[in-house]
Amino acid sequence: MEGFVEGLMTAIQPINIIWIVIGGFLGTVVGMLPGLGPATAVAVLIPVTFGMDPTSAIILMAAIYYGAMYGGSRSSILLNTPGDGSAIAATFDGYPMAKKGQAGQAMAISAVASFIGGILATFGFVALAKPLASFALQFGPSEYFLLMLLTLSAIVSLSTGKMIKGFIAMCLGLLLSTIGIDPQTGVHRFTLGMPHLAEGIDFLIVIIGIYAVGEVFYNFLTIYKEKKKQKENQDMGKTWFTKEQWKRSKWPILRSAPLGFIVGVLPGAGGTIASMISYSTEKQLSKKPEEFGKGAVEGLAAPESANNSASVGAMIPLLTMGIPGSGTTAVMLGALIMLGVRPGPMLFENDPVMVWGLINSMFIGNIALVIINVLLVGLLVKVLHTPAKVLYPLIIMLAFIGTYTLSYSTVDFYLLLLFGLIGLVMKVLDFPIAPLVLALIVGTDMEQNFRMALTSSNGSLSIFFSSGISVILMILTVLSLCYPLILKLIKNRKRKEDQTISG
Amino acid sequence: MNLIDFKFLIDNFKKTFTFIYSEFNINSEFNKIRGVDIVKKLVVFVLAVLILTACSSNSTSGNGEYPTKNIEVVAPASPGGGWDLTARSVQKILKDNSLVDNNINVINKPGGGGEVGWSYLHTKDSHYLAVNSSLLLTNHFLGQSKLTYEDFTPLATLATEWQAIAVSVDAPYENINDLFEDIKNDPASIKIGVGPGLGNDDHLSFVQAAGMRDVAAKDLNFLVYDGGGGDVVTALLGNHVNAVTTSLSEVKEQHIAGKLKILAVSSEDRLEELEDVPTLKEEGIDMVFPHWRGIMGPPDMTEEEIKYWDEKLGEMVKSEEWAELLTNNDWDDFYQNSSDTKAFFDEQAELYKDLIGESGLVQ
Repeated sequence: MEGFVEGLMTAIQPINIIWIVIGGFLGTVVGMLPGLGPATAVAVLIPVTFGMDPTSAIILMAAIYYGAMYGGSRSSILLNTPGDGSAIAATFDGYPMAKKGQAGQAMAISAVASFIGGILATFGFVALAKPLASFALQFGPSEYFLLMLLTLSAIVSLSTGKMIKGFIAMCLGLLLSTIGIDPQTGVHRFTLGMPHLAEGIDFLIVIIGIYAVGEVFYNFLTIYKEKKKQKENQDMGKTWFTKEQWKRSKWPILRSAPLGFIVGVLPGAGGTIASMISYSTEKQLSKKPEEFGKGAVEGLAAPESANNSASVGAMIPLLTMGIPGSGTTAVMLGALIMLGVRPGPMLFENDPVMVWGLINSMFIGNIALVIINVLLVGLLVKVLHTPAKVLYPLIIMLAFIGTYTLSYSTVDFYLLLLFGLIGLVMKVLDFPIAPLVLALIVGTDMEQNFRMALTSSNGSLSIFFSSGISVILMILTVLSLCYPLILKLIKNRKRKEDQTISG
Repeated sequence: MNLIDFKFLIDNFKKTFTFIYSEFNINSEFNKIRGVDIVKKLVVFVLAVLILTACSSNSTSGNGEYPTKNIEVVAPASPGGGWDLTARSVQKILKDNSLVDNNINVINKPGGGGEVGWSYLHTKDSHYLAVNSSLLLTNHFLGQSKLTYEDFTPLATLATEWQAIAVSVDAPYENINDLFEDIKNDPASIKIGVGPGLGNDDHLSFVQAAGMRDVAAKDLNFLVYDGGGGDVVTALLGNHVNAVTTSLSEVKEQHIAGKLKILAVSSEDRLEELEDVPTLKEEGIDMVFPHWRGIMGPPDMTEEEIKYWDEKLGEMVKSEEWAELLTNNDWDDFYQNSSDTKAFFDEQAELYKDLIGESGLVQ
């Protein structure tokens, strides 16, 4: 614990506090902009960190990372365009809330949910970093496959009411995920001889295309019809959530924090899966599941708490084993190595001040961020007052800039427009979008892990039942799929019993 | 920038300035609005700056000595990876030590395992350079690229990493030969972790070593982790694979911490901090396998241009900063000048052609 105190002293040095605030603010901003995520922001800042003290550098980079988790949901709530995979879940209920005139409340509750998630996860980091790191090692290909399957089953629960359309969208996403070189065999699949497609389609292009560009196209179609409606929604006055809303969100936030934290620790899983699983869990635990997707406040608060705690969890494999758990931590690893720090099993022993400095900076950072974000609510709500002719061209511009920063290639622009059109068609035909995007995100890993699991068992399916974790994941998947059905069955039977009694 | 150049610029600047200004004055109605004045000045200023920078990057210097404009170093990968790191380090060290007077920029062109960036370089002039590695050779042999190393001008080989083969601490292997013996006896029982794709150095170095112990490539059971080195190490630590083949830097810290066991490294001699790890050569497997990185230019660079880079890069690798970069990354000095690199490429091309044939990746 002496490391803790020393780390605290490091973190509260004025220069480091300045870095925390700068990083947090920057993260919030890039998180808000479609396509510009924390990975890009950290990568762009690498040259800046060259001359910095390694501790300050990692504090700055971490602040950008979790700052982006705060910012990511802003555009989801206001414009229905998530900035990153982990902000998709915030569109489900955040955007409907904004439509109901609760944009301010939605942003306030999501900032507070992120804050609680982040703080709880940081406590988790202090207490559990080492045991959790070894727990994460238990995850082999079969466990990963089952985790992804659980995520896909969460997608099903999103599509209640439009089950068939949801499945079609999901299959489309899975098909898209097969594009690119197949790692297991080195075979090119559906690349049409274009080297650009060899690494597959970046899911961020699909997110930006379908959500942002598609939304703009869609609004363009309806721009004249909706004019009157928008006027009614001008009143966005409230910037703080009500007691009732807090009561509904309190437990979902507290439950989602540890869940997100654990999923975050698993290398490669990350915020997207964490927020999805948390959303579907809350929907199933809720007494009013029918309100989900129509602006249920807990449907926004829970995934926000989960994705922020996942970003803290993702630091654990990075710092304890030198293994990056997400795209952003991978870039951070590269930057740290350049500074002469080698994260790995020896880091806690060799450089305790740095590790504890980082952990303490996360406490301070989360406090700074909740203040920044709550203050920003009043300003951001104004986005909704922006006239469409200003707002939509701006979104298109940001979408193109964001896309270009992904791989500095103009080929992506065509993909962006293509997915914009697909998004438009899906919206017109009332297809749910999230299943497609989420299936694309988990699809590649799911397939690879399935095949690796079979290779390592020499083709026997028994490997999927061979460990405790697998069995638990399997049960959870089955439960999450059947729970709504069982509930219905019980209700029906009760009704029947009631009827027979009364009859 | 020399004097004539500067004069030309000033002239240009003046002309544009007066032109824009007069344009604005004609539009008198526009002028009436208050506040427009500031905007106008701002526009003029921004335009002037834009023109200035555009001129400075395109201006040709009077005596025509190479290089005459900005140098662009293409990193055929996203920011943060090994190629990007190499490109940015070259940029920084050349500038910091004032070895090159011209501006140096790094351009990221990721995609297709370097293919996208190198195709881009292929169409450019001699002020563009690109970072490379053995993928330049293997992409072609794997049928993933029409371009070969002969389509470019090799300038230097800069640094190398070494390959390592590692197993878990409680694995029953004393040395690398035990591992190969086990694979020979029961191929299906040994899973080897590799990433991010087949046909890379991690994969091919293992194929070569196995081949020298008469283990056929078809008997090697690879699990391919497309997340790359980090994922492979995680898999080994969690006992999901029996052995891994990866860059030394991925496993070095873990070996020192006693979390896993490196059986052999692919270097010529034993390495610092890893005095307990034998080389493949010592184990009777007569091979040295560098995982090198280098730098090259577009086709048809002149003798003079090649000489320029031989001189500059030769000085760069002698700098303290370069030495520090090598240490931080667990790289080794592997500098070879342009002509040596050319010969080295010919030799490597032979090796990779054979290895890829052996690996069964291409039918």
